[in-house]
Amino acid sequence: MKKALIIFQKELLDSLRDYRSWLTGLFWALFGPLMMGGVLIMVGSVINDNVEKPLSLPVQNPENAPSLIQFLKSNNVNVVPAPADPETAVRQGDLDVVLIIPENYKDEFSSGKTATVQLVLDNSRQSASVSITRIENLLNGYSKYIGSLRLVTRGVSPEIINAITIKQLDVSTPQSRTNLLISFLPYFIIFAIFNGAAPIVTDTTAGERERQSLEPLLINPLPRRNFVIGKLLAAFPFSLASLGITLIGFGVVFNLLPVEKFLGMRLEVNGDTLIAILAICLPIVFLASSIQMLVASFARSTKEAGTYLPFIALIPSLPGIAIAFFPVKSTFWTMLIPTFGQQLLINQYMRLEPASIWNALISSVVTIIVSIVITWMAVRLYEREEIVTRKS
Amino acid sequence: MIEVQRLSKSFGKVRAVQDVSFTAIDGQITGLLGPNGAGKSTTLRMLYTLIRPDDGVARINGFDIIQSTIEVQRRIGVLSDAQGLYSRLTTRENIRYFGRLHDLDGAALETRIDQLLSLLDMQSIADRRTEGFSTGEKLKVAIARALVHDPDNLLLDEPTNGLDVKSTRAMRKIISNLRSEGKCILLTSHIMQEVAALCDQIVIITKGMVAAQGTSRELLERTGKANLEDAFIEVIGSEEGLL
Repeated sequence: MKKALIIFQKELLDSLRDYRSWLTGLFWALFGPLMMGGVLIMVGSVINDNVEKPLSLPVQNPENAPSLIQFLKSNNVNVVPAPADPETAVRQGDLDVVLIIPENYKDEFSSGKTATVQLVLDNSRQSASVSITRIENLLNGYSKYIGSLRLVTRGVSPEIINAITIKQLDVSTPQSRTNLLISFLPYFIIFAIFNGAAPIVTDTTAGERERQSLEPLLINPLPRRNFVIGKLLAAFPFSLASLGITLIGFGVVFNLLPVEKFLGMRLEVNGDTLIAILAICLPIVFLASSIQMLVASFARSTKEAGTYLPFIALIPSLPGIAIAFFPVKSTFWTMLIPTFGQQLLINQYMRLEPASIWNALISSVVTIIVSIVITWMAVRLYEREEIVTRKS
Repeated sequence: MIEVQRLSKSFGKVRAVQDVSFTAIDGQITGLLGPNGAGKSTTLRMLYTLIRPDDGVARINGFDIIQSTIEVQRRIGVLSDAQGLYSRLTTRENIRYFGRLHDLDGAALETRIDQLLSLLDMQSIADRRTEGFSTGEKLKVAIARALVHDPDNLLLDEPTNGLDVKSTRAMRKIISNLRSEGKCILLTSHIMQEVAALCDQIVIITKGMVAAQGTSRELLERTGKANLEDAFIEVIGSEEGLL
């Protein structure tokens, strides 16, 4: 074990001096938080733009309906003059919606008939839908309000026309949007763990072979397992740093950006949550380093290793994408799948759902056992003479 | 002391080494001479424990290369065909790494490194990273690395391969000095002049088998030739692959 530490120290020093490759790795660690921040800002700006800003509504002949215009203005609508040809303006996408008040509106309205107003809109335009819905709701509200007033003047309770009233219990909107976002977190976190280890693992295995130093190294008097263990340990700090940076990055993004305003839902990402996620992910550091080491040891050159490793990093991240769309509950069986169990657990912690310590424990133990088996396979590979007879 | 008895190794259908036997004794340079692909390097690689022989026995200082691999590794210094260094480490760090893997440490190791640096006349590059070193400089680091634990036996695979005249002469001098220290030196070469100039014992290998062995005088007597060059060609049967 002492010899493994000597190898660990050398590989750590050697890798630290290769600052270009670990800096690249650390950049990838920031990729997740940056992307998440970008998505948050985009989602937030789309929603906020439409809901909170005063809506600018071009109206033709506003003088025909003064009380309606007053109602709209008091509901945060800026009434502006309509263009001469509203249909073309809407069709070309210059305007979202235009309200036309016909000439006979005034007469119909005064005589208590059903007065008609026109909305010029393009239903196929997704970006206009928020404005359209808002105007439609306002017009319906005004219609109902005037109707109620008319009933009251006739001594009839307005309730009589409301046979039923709908109360919405919306369980979807802000929460599901947040959940979708959260579902991508484990993907980025696990990707960062793998990417942090990859350059180090590649350099110490395939790189050692490529620079023709593997043969002299293996002639040294120590059991081959020491080489594997030392090199594996050297990948840990880099993998851990990558994980830490990603988690801190997410912490910063979720705390700096007004997530509640953007998503309409609070997202609690405090130090405790991050530490819990860090703890859950520690066994993955072992797994990511060992599996990439095994694969890179087969490769004859760093270039060849570089073509394999991104796939290895992608495979465990895939379930993370799947659970964004197909909710999976944490069960004993899902905990038996390394990286998948952790992804479910991260999701639970982010949603502040009660996560079972037992599930976390099972997931960790299984991941560690699998990692030990993979490490043992790597040791066996290093004990075979093919490790030196395969030409670079 | 290196004893080799009926060593054999095949790669698939290629019989790289067949029934090779010889003994290299302390204080002598034993040369494995043969054309390219004759099985010299494979024989050496079996002796420095990276390749397992299919058959036969080899002992270094009495330790079996298969049963006592670690003990053998402690007693050999190897300059293999692959002489890669760690380019981000300095000369000193490269040598120190191998020294520590040989259980050397602390002041004793540093003293030994300084000794090697002056022996190989490389103090000026001692604390430079090895990236961009010339072939000669790299070779010196590789030799220092192989000698750091002061091994009794030296296995050198084509030690002058790719060196210029100056470096070749320096290398031969180093090898001669190691002989005077009483080391057992086994080297391979396909250069007849080198083997003739350096080696006390010559083992001629061709097609994986030992064709002849002995001192240069014995080889001359056996073949009845006037010079070693003719003697080699007589033994090998052709000039192909020799220099």
